[in-house]
Amino acid sequence: MSISAEYAQEHINDPAVLCCRREAGTKLSHHDFEDPAIFDDLVSSGLLKLDGAITIGQAMGATLTKTLDSLNPVLKDCVDKVQEAAAPAAVSSAPAAPASSNQGATTSVAGGKLKIHIGEGKGIDLEIPMGLAGGAGAAGTGASAGAAGVSSGAAASAGGEKVVRTLTRKHYNITEVKRGKETKIEGTTLYIRKGIEEEAVATQELVHDLKLDIITKDKYHTYSETIMDTQPIATKEGDSELGSGVTRVLDNVVMLLTGTTDEGVQIGEFGSSEGYLDENVMWGRPSCPDYGDILIRGTVKIENKKNMERPGPLAAHKAFDVITQEIRMALKELDDSLVVNTEKFDQVRRPGKKKVALVKEIMGQGAMHDNLILPVEPVGVLGAHPNVDLCNVPVVCSPLEVLDGCIHALTCIGPASKEQSRHYWREPMVLELLHDKEIDFAGVIFVGSPQINSEKFYVSRRVGMTCEAMDVEGAIVTTEGFGNNHVDFTSHIEQIGMRGIKVVGMSFCAKQGALVTGNKYIEAMVDNNKSEAGIENEILGNNTLCPEDAVRADLMLKALMAGESVKKPEKEWNPNVKSQNVELISNVTGKPVELVKNETSLPMSEKYKKKYANAK
Amino acid sequence: MATKKKTKAAIKAKAKATKAKAAKAVKKIKKAVKSTAKKVKNDAKKVIKNVKQTVQAFKTSGDIVLLLKQGVGKPCVPCVKKGDKVVVGQLIAKPQGLGANLHSSVDGVVTKVTDAAIFIKSNKILSSLGQIVPKTIKAKKDDMLACVTEAGIVGMGGAGFPTGVKLSTEVKDGYVLVNAVECEPILAHNMAQLVRYSNETIKGVHYVMKITKAKHGIIAIKQKHKEEIEAVLKALKGITDIHVHLLPDIYPMGEERAVVRECLGKLLDVNELPSAANAIVINVETVLRVYEAIEFGRPAVSKNLTVSGKIKGINNGVKVFYDVPIGLKVKDVIEAAGGIDGKYGEIIMGGPFMGKPCKLDDPITKTTGGIIVTEPFKDYKGAKVGLLVCACGANEDRLKDIASKYNMKVVDVEYCKQAKDPKGNGVYKCENPGNCPGQALKCMNIKKAGATEILISNCSDCTNTVMGSAPGLGLNVHHATDHIFETVGMEVQRHLKKSKFVEGPIPEGCTASRNPESNEPGGINSVSHAGGAGGVSADYSKPYVFREDSPEGEILISIESGSDISVKWED
Repeated sequence: MSISAEYAQEHINDPAVLCCRREAGTKLSHHDFEDPAIFDDLVSSGLLKLDGAITIGQAMGATLTKTLDSLNPVLKDCVDKVQEAAAPAAVSSAPAAPASSNQGATTSVAGGKLKIHIGEGKGIDLEIPMGLAGGAGAAGTGASAGAAGVSSGAAASAGGEKVVRTLTRKHYNITEVKRGKETKIEGTTLYIRKGIEEEAVATQELVHDLKLDIITKDKYHTYSETIMDTQPIATKEGDSELGSGVTRVLDNVVMLLTGTTDEGVQIGEFGSSEGYLDENVMWGRPSCPDYGDILIRGTVKIENKKNMERPGPLAAHKAFDVITQEIRMALKELDDSLVVNTEKFDQVRRPGKKKVALVKEIMGQGAMHDNLILPVEPVGVLGAHPNVDLCNVPVVCSPLEVLDGCIHALTCIGPASKEQSRHYWREPMVLELLHDKEIDFAGVIFVGSPQINSEKFYVSRRVGMTCEAMDVEGAIVTTEGFGNNHVDFTSHIEQIGMRGIKVVGMSFCAKQGALVTGNKYIEAMVDNNKSEAGIENEILGNNTLCPEDAVRADLMLKALMAGESVKKPEKEWNPNVKSQNVELISNVTGKPVELVKNETSLPMSEKYKKKYANAK
Repeated sequence: MATKKKTKAAIKAKAKATKAKAAKAVKKIKKAVKSTAKKVKNDAKKVIKNVKQTVQAFKTSGDIVLLLKQGVGKPCVPCVKKGDKVVVGQLIAKPQGLGANLHSSVDGVVTKVTDAAIFIKSNKILSSLGQIVPKTIKAKKDDMLACVTEAGIVGMGGAGFPTGVKLSTEVKDGYVLVNAVECEPILAHNMAQLVRYSNETIKGVHYVMKITKAKHGIIAIKQKHKEEIEAVLKALKGITDIHVHLLPDIYPMGEERAVVRECLGKLLDVNELPSAANAIVINVETVLRVYEAIEFGRPAVSKNLTVSGKIKGINNGVKVFYDVPIGLKVKDVIEAAGGIDGKYGEIIMGGPFMGKPCKLDDPITKTTGGIIVTEPFKDYKGAKVGLLVCACGANEDRLKDIASKYNMKVVDVEYCKQAKDPKGNGVYKCENPGNCPGQALKCMNIKKAGATEILISNCSDCTNTVMGSAPGLGLNVHHATDHIFETVGMEVQRHLKKSKFVEGPIPEGCTASRNPESNEPGGINSVSHAGGAGGVSADYSKPYVFREDSPEGEILISIESGSDISVKWED
C-alpha cells in the first residue's frame, strides 16, 4: 500500500516499487510507492523482483518515462533522472536483526555546520534544536552521535550533579562451608547448623522435605532438580535500609534453591533446568552462580499438585529463607577486619542531562511466576510484597535498591531467559546507566506481567503515565521470558513511545522468541539471545541480559535521543547484526566489548543434544 | 489490428439494431428481436451505443406505490387518506425535517396508506409523463428556489439529497458542476438526455447558477461520448459562463468528490462537501427537473431510467425510458421493455457498481437509475473467498450477498486503505476516488486466510492493482460486477488498459482532465476564472519569508512548497 511522506523518509534507502499502475509522465511521490515492509513476502511469493530498483530517495521527485503496473520496481531507465538521496537521511550504519534486534552504533553529524537540502516538496517544516546546531562541534570526536547530542544538551544547561544516596557493600570471603552445631562464620569458613532443615520445613505446611547439601567446584557434575533461584547471601548493617547505608555480603558462596513435588514432578515441569549442574548452569551470568562458587543447595519437596500454584513455590522460598536468614544473622556479627573488599555505589542525579528511566518487566502471572518486592533484607522474604498481590502495577525503585536485592525472584519455566534474584543484585543495565555520566538516570520502574490481556494493558498504561510524570526523555524496557509477556512488553513500549519518549526494548527474541505483537514504536530493540541456535535452551541464565547487551541498549537510546534512527530489522534472525554492532561500538569507544560465553562452553547434556538437533 | 475488426462488427450490430428500432409497433420489435436472439459478445462501447429510447405506455399490475422515503431524510407525512381521489401532480405527502415533497404520479384513488408508502389505484393506462404535464406548482416562476423546493426534487444521480436544500447554499462567484459523467457502465439515460434535451439542460444549469449565485457552470462528461458532447457544445453556442470538462473513461469519475477534483483540481477531504471548493455538484437529470419545475411548474413525478440485461428484445443493449411515473413497479417497467428472457440470477436496481438487488414488486423511486436483469449465478461449490471492500463499489453486505449467491464461503473481509467511514455510520467514502493506494497487502492477507477466490468491489484503478498481485498469489479474481457485465456481453472489469487522463485533441472551449505533467492543451488551469477556487497563483518575484526566530531561541524554517531547496547552516 502507498506510504506516508514521513514513512517514505524513514525508508529512503529501500527499493522503490510502485504500489499501483502509474502512467508515463507521473512525478513520483510517496503516494506511489509500495510499503517496503511487505517486500519480503512479495519476493518470496514470486510477485516481486527487486533487481535493479533505485531507492525511494532516488525515485522521489523523478518523472516516470514509461507506464508501469503495480509491483514493478522503479529502474534507472524508467525515470527521467535519478534523484540525489534527499535530506535528513541521518542513516544509522549498523544492520539490524530479526523481529526484534539490535543496533548500537551510529554515524556522526559533521561538526559545526548543518546542511539541509530538499529536492522538492510541500509543507516542509524543519525545527532545529539550538543545542545541536550550536554545540555539536564541542562534543568529543570519536564518540557516537548519541553521545554528541547528549553532551551538547548538557552544555546548554549549567545544572550541577547531585548525589542522592550512597550504598556501600562490604565483602567477606568464604572459602569453605561446613555443617556444625551452630550457624556461624569463623574466618573464611561458614558453618550451618545441623538440623536447621527440619525447622525450616516446619514453618511451611506445603513443604514436606528440605535437603541441604554443599556443592563445591569439584562436585559440579551433580544431578540437580530444577533450579528455582540463585541468591546472594547478604544482610543490612545496623539501621541501614535496603538501598542505602551498608550491606554485608559473602563472596564465593550462593544459595541455590531447587525442588520437586513429593511424587517427583519438577516445579515448573515444562521448560525446567533439572540435570547435571555442570551441563545446565551458564556460569558467570549475572543471574547465576559464578564458576567456582560454593553452592548451598536446598532441595525441597512440596505437596503434590502445588508445583503450578502460587502457594507451592512461595512456601519453598520461605522455608529456604529460614536458613539464609540464620546465615545473615551470623554475618551481622562479623568484625570489619574480615572485610576483603569495599564497593561504593553513588546514585547521582544530573539535572540538565537527558533524563532516562529503566522499565523492568518482571513476571507476575501467578502460578510459579511471582516476585517479592522490597524485603527488609537483601533478597529476603520478610517485609516484601508479591507483585501479583500488588496487581502488577508499576513500582518505582532507586537503582541502588535494585543492586541491594529489592527483588526476590520466583522464576521457573524458561530458565534460559529468566532473571533470578542474583541478577538484580548485579543487574548490568542498572550498572551501565548508573555509571553513564552523559545521562540523568531517574530510576527503575518494576512492572509485573499479568496473565490476563486486559490487565496487561491496565499496567502498561500506568507505565506510560509514570514515565510521562517523571518527564523522562528516554526509557529502556527490559523483559524476561518470551511469548505471553511480549504482549505487555510491546504495550509498554507503545505507551512510552506515544508520549514522544524515545524507547529501546530488550528481550530474548532470536529465532524462538520473535515478538508476537508489534506497534510502530518498536523500532529499537536489543536481543538478549546468547544461544547458538537462537532458542530457549533451558540452560540456566543463558539468554539473560549481560553487559554486552546493556552497552548496546544505552548507546542505542542515546543515539535515538540525539535524533538518530535505527535501521529496521532483517526478516530472519541474523546473529551477525549483534556482532557487527559490538564491533562498531568497540571501534568507536576504543573499549572492546567482551562477549560472554554460551552453552557451547559447557559439556553437552543428552537433553540439550536433542534440543539442539531439533533447532537445527 | 484485432480491435479494428471488432469495431467493424460493432457497427454492423448497431445497424441491425437501428433497423429494428425503425419498426413502428412494439410487438413487431419483439418479434424481430426474437428471431435474431443470438447472443453476440459485444464490447462496452457497443453496448452503450445500442440504445433504444422509448416514450411509451405502461401497463400496471396493481397499485402505484409511492414510498414516503424517496431520498435522504425522514419519511414524509401523508396528507391524503384512503378513498381520496387524487390527480397527477397533486401533493400527497410533506417532509418532516429534512426531506422533499411527494406528489402523485397518476390520476386515481388512494387505496391504502401505511407508514412506508401511499398506494394509488389508477384506471388509466399510464403513459410516459413527458415534460410538460402536470403543472401543479403554486410558487411563482421568479421565486426559483421555492419552485424547486415545492417540486420535491431530490438528487437523481442516486444520492437523493433534497435539491431545494442543496441549492439554498450559495456559492457566490463559485461553480455549478453538472455531473453528466454517468460513470456507472451500462446506464445510458443521462447521455440520451444530453442529446434529446440539450437546450433544456443548459437552461436548467443557468437556473441553478442563478439560484446559487455561482459564476461558472461546468458540465463534466466522459471524453468518449463524442455525439453527446457535440450536442451540448451546439446548445452552448454563444454562452460563455458554462463550459464542458472532459473526463477519462474510468470508474468512478462521477463520484462527487472526483468531479470536484477533476474539474477544479482540489481534492476534498472525506468529510468535506463541495462547498469547501466553493462549488455544488448536481446530477444532469436533476438539472433538467429544476428546469421543468421553474419553467412549467411541474413537480418531480417521473424518472428517466435505463433497462438492460436478460430482457427480451434488448439483445445485449439497453433501453432508455423517459419519464417513468414514480411508483410504477419494477416488473411493469421490465414488461414494457420486453419482459424477462428465461431464467435469471437477480434484478439490480441502479448501476452495476452501486446498485442493489431488488424484487419485481418494488416500486420505482426518484433515485432509480437502472434496472438490470442478470444471468443466473455460477455455483462455486463452497469455495473459500476473501472480500476486498471498496468505498466506490458494493459495500460489505452486498459483497457477502454476492458471495452467497455464488455459493462461496467468506473467510476474510479486507477494506481498501482509502475507504473511510467519516461519520461512523457504515457509509464509506474513498479518500482519493479512482487513484489506487495499493492492494498487495490486502491480497496477501486474503491469501493467508486460506481463500482461493477474491471478490472485489473496487474501481478501475484498484481492480487493476488487485490484478497485479492476486493472480500471482493463486487467487481467482471476481468482481462484484462480473455477472452483470457477462449478462450484457461486456468484458469483465480486470486490467486497466486505458489512460486515467484525457488524451488527444479536445473540442475548442472544453477543458479536460489532462496528465498534469503533460503539456497538452486543455488542462483545468487553462480556462481562466476570476476568483473562485481555481487559478491560485503565486508571486515568485517577492522574497519568500520562511524563517522565524522565536523568543525561546528556536528557529523554525517552514517551506510550504518548492523545489531544489537548500538550507545551509554555518557557524
